[in-house]
Amino acid sequence: MTSLTAPRRTAAADTGSARTGRRPLSRKHREWIAAALFLAPDCIGLLIFVGIPMVLSIVLGFFQVSGFGSYTWIGLGNYRRMFSDPLFWSSLRITGIYVVVLVPLLFVISLGLGLLIKQKLPGIGVYRTALFMPYVISLVVVGLLGKFLLDDQVGAVNRAMEAVGLSGRSWLGDPSLALVSLIAVTTWVMMGYYMIIFLAGLQEIPQEYYEAAKLDGAGPWTTFRNVTWPLLRPTSFFVLLMSTVAAITGGLDLVYVLTQGGPANSTSLAIFYIYQQAFVFGEYGYAAAMGSFLVLIMVVLSAVIFALTRGGRFDDGE
Amino acid sequence: MLQHGNDAEPPRPPRRRSVLAAAAGAATALAAPALLTGCGAAGSGGGTLKFWNFYGPEHGPDPAVNRQSDWFTGIVAKWNATHRAKIELVYTPPQIYQNGSKLPTAFAAGEGPDIFLLSPGDFLRYYNGGVLADLTPHMDKAVIADYGTSLASRTVDGKVYALPMEVEPLAMFYDVGAWEKAGLSEGDIPTTWDEMLDRGDKLRSNTRAGLIFETGPGYYQNFTWYPWMWQGGGDVLDKQGDVSFDSKATRQALQLWSDAVRHGIAPRTLPAAGDVIGAFQGGNVGMWQQGIWNVASFKAAAPNFRYGVFKLPVPPGGRYVTSLGGWSFCANAKGRNPEAAAEFCGWALGTMEDDCIDRMVDWCIGAKSDIAPRTSALERGAAKGGYDSAVMKTFKDDIFPGGRPEPRYPPVVYKAISDAIQGTMLGGDGVAGAASRAAQSMAAYTKSYKGASLV
Repeated sequence: MTSLTAPRRTAAADTGSARTGRRPLSRKHREWIAAALFLAPDCIGLLIFVGIPMVLSIVLGFFQVSGFGSYTWIGLGNYRRMFSDPLFWSSLRITGIYVVVLVPLLFVISLGLGLLIKQKLPGIGVYRTALFMPYVISLVVVGLLGKFLLDDQVGAVNRAMEAVGLSGRSWLGDPSLALVSLIAVTTWVMMGYYMIIFLAGLQEIPQEYYEAAKLDGAGPWTTFRNVTWPLLRPTSFFVLLMSTVAAITGGLDLVYVLTQGGPANSTSLAIFYIYQQAFVFGEYGYAAAMGSFLVLIMVVLSAVIFALTRGGRFDDGE
Repeated sequence: MLQHGNDAEPPRPPRRRSVLAAAAGAATALAAPALLTGCGAAGSGGGTLKFWNFYGPEHGPDPAVNRQSDWFTGIVAKWNATHRAKIELVYTPPQIYQNGSKLPTAFAAGEGPDIFLLSPGDFLRYYNGGVLADLTPHMDKAVIADYGTSLASRTVDGKVYALPMEVEPLAMFYDVGAWEKAGLSEGDIPTTWDEMLDRGDKLRSNTRAGLIFETGPGYYQNFTWYPWMWQGGGDVLDKQGDVSFDSKATRQALQLWSDAVRHGIAPRTLPAAGDVIGAFQGGNVGMWQQGIWNVASFKAAAPNFRYGVFKLPVPPGGRYVTSLGGWSFCANAKGRNPEAAAEFCGWALGTMEDDCIDRMVDWCIGAKSDIAPRTSALERGAAKGGYDSAVMKTFKDDIFPGGRPEPRYPPVVYKAISDAIQGTMLGGDGVAGAASRAAQSMAAYTKSYKGASLV
């Protein structure tokens, strides 16, 4: 059947091209066009919703914007203001602590959970679902839950502490604890997502390697160090990069609901401060300048992560 | 049929390229109107004016919310029945309207609503942005006198740019049951700061905060803190608009809140996530500095709960003052039809017609529990029995008369004050340093400030 239809199609194509005087597209060109068509919606979407706003935001950083349609060119004025704004530097410092604590914590907990739920245990699906569940809950709801759990007087956390003879703390009202509480709630929300990514990575590792390691007499730690860890490199890179980006640019919802940046600016992450300048104070130009600077920091940090992990590739001779 | 079929060209299956082309064409045809509609919406908008608010139309289990929504839908329906320019209410939940980005984003995009509600804290930003229409031509002259000082923070160069629909004084609410349980009587109602801290200390327990001041940073916290500073004779700016924040009165007000927290009398966070009625009912509150609007909330959600109110206590040698909040109607000077929008504001709240005065009375004693900002409406509301209950009588006769309208400071000034309050109350900063830093920050800003008078 194939031998009958194929020449017929070619003949039709030949007739067509003879009629139009054009050569038929090669397979490579046809594939290229198909790929372009499939990619086009994504590219157009990215251009419209990410590319153009990003360029506009960078441009906006050179203007003083009233928030009511008035734009005044001030060159580097917003950037000069940014460099002399102690609250911006304070927010960057808080973001730095947040990233440095949250990213490794998320990494370790998610990997540990990934290893645990990879085990073939009865009812493992229930555990996987339970651990992933916080990720699908609205962050506003999570924030409110956190507020009730961490309440000074009647919160479950303080109640539990008092039950074991410890005195309760003001988790969200004490500047020395509020950021810790924010990190804890964020970890609880995000760990399920990265756990699933680690689980996917772990399931990609061929079982034969584990069997070979077992035959060689390797214990759990040696197996993890010599088999799991190196073969998880692409997944680890992905988790590291994504959680770092999420930590720098995310957190706004939870800060907004849990602390409003307080107490005494102790949870005012850079992203919250930028939000506040733009949408509470109407300083859109200044916020755009700070946003551009934050993107620059993120690009540099991503490049460092790429360089240190070689992009999660295996092609390094190992 | 067979013959016919033989004559006709056999149908050809659609080719992949034509399918793709057709799909692309269809997608373009579907997307184009949507995109063009989106682009064309700016400024075109049709003839109906949009009135953004956080009351209605909205219906739920809370009867107070429903009454407030009915008031809004009622006045818009009445306007629409008698005027050519039609108005449509657009509801936004209070949390999003008051603290969110919806309203500022809409104005930044040139899509601000034609009519909207505005608080004094936001007045200058919107006025300086040129989006507030002058409402004076649409008001009866006598109304300006009828409003009295309620218009001060909404007026620039003698022109009125926002019409208040309510006045909301702050007072101290207390749990009568907890009060009695602590061995306190009505005679123990505090009149000085020291007495207030002492009562708070007596009322507190493991699960009950003795005395609550607002803890979250924001315009509202500043609004609740101002009276403590004013009572000592202090102010943020003097009458000339120069910074006067770094004063003894400021430092003692900052110290009061700091001491209350440091001694464990006031909590660092609000109980019940800030749900006032829930916290009182749950027995988690002794005293709480709150506004008159909670009277309606108690009536709706906890009618049998025993609570009382009293005037904010004063420092030694001080004079009683409280903050007067409240929202107002504004018209967008850059909207679809600023003239009609301004006319609506004037018609709704700014004439001496009986209907207009009754409208304000209905809002302040029917839909809500507020002080009417106009003398005529306050008197009529009192005559109708709106202030006969013990709590409302206290608000009208004792608490409101010493009130001062919420100031209209711009964001930089607000933020400097907020940082001083937060730093001293919760961050352990010294009051002298905090007051001085805030004053310097404000001074640097006011030197280059251009816009309507800050005071």
